[in-house]
Amino acid sequence: MIIALGNDHIVTDTKIKISEMLKAMGHKVIDVGTYDHTRTHYPIYGLRVANLVRDGKADYGVVLCGTGVGISTAADKNQGVRAALVADTTAAKYAKEHLNANVISFGGAVVGEHLAEEIVKTFLAADYLGEDDDLVKKIDAVEAKDNPEQHDNPHFYDHEMKLWDEGFYHD
Amino acid sequence: MKIALASDKAGFELKNYIKEYLENEGKGYEIVDLSEEPAADFVDSSVELSHAVLDGKTDRGIMFDEYGTGSAMASNKIHGMVTANVTEENTAHMTTEHNGAKAIAIGAGIVGKKRAESIVDEYLGVNYAGGRHQIRLDMLEKLY
Repeated sequence: MIIALGNDHIVTDTKIKISEMLKAMGHKVIDVGTYDHTRTHYPIYGLRVANLVRDGKADYGVVLCGTGVGISTAADKNQGVRAALVADTTAAKYAKEHLNANVISFGGAVVGEHLAEEIVKTFLAADYLGEDDDLVKKIDAVEAKDNPEQHDNPHFYDHEMKLWDEGFYHD
Repeated sequence: MKIALASDKAGFELKNYIKEYLENEGKGYEIVDLSEEPAADFVDSSVELSHAVLDGKTDRGIMFDEYGTGSAMASNKIHGMVTANVTEENTAHMTTEHNGAKAIAIGAGIVGKKRAESIVDEYLGVNYAGGRHQIRLDMLEKLY
């Protein structure tokens, strides 16, 4: 399978472990970054993974940030993407079998390396059971609108990044 | 602080337990229970709760279903909504501080009662930190 992988700077090391595991399993990995520990912003990478899944360029997505909340939320806000934030394999299996989730997410700073690997493995091994089409359609229909600007647009966050570089956002 | 609660059938018992916990411990929260009866499914309960928070009728919300992940997935589809599926105490407070989470989801099939008590205390006990985190929320707000 082709797996899109995205993360923020807090959990790059965990991302690399997952990438290595996926490659060892025979999957093709599209690693959209980030690639080091330089401070960056999780929506950038959640959106990149979502685009690949939405466009059918990846079969599934795996996204992680410190808690998984931010990057899974970003990925979920895309047409055709159902992102599941989990902390155990029980919910990972459920998300695929019943919600037909196509992006799995966990807190890279929350779950340990072994559990992270098992969550991803469990998610990929499970199959949508086909019993919940109405529920899945209902989830997809919650937000009927789309923002065409966010789809496959590498400049979507240029304005925010300009403000960041100018020091507009500070603690 | 006004807190909305909502639940489907699978989360209903834990919702009622947490409702009593938040009301009876002198915590000073005003609880708005949107699910006196269980919603038909977690999409209905999580979407109703999201609109209550986004429309300013309550300050934050707590959604209950069986796994938590469904309520978070459905509600995060809504423009401007940030829901965290929470299973432990650290994420419970981090998601307020860093994500300004408008709601959390708790899976009653995953999280036990005592853990759920701690999670809601951690979630409600802190405030959004702002600062560098705001660029990420602005980026989320642009989606959809």
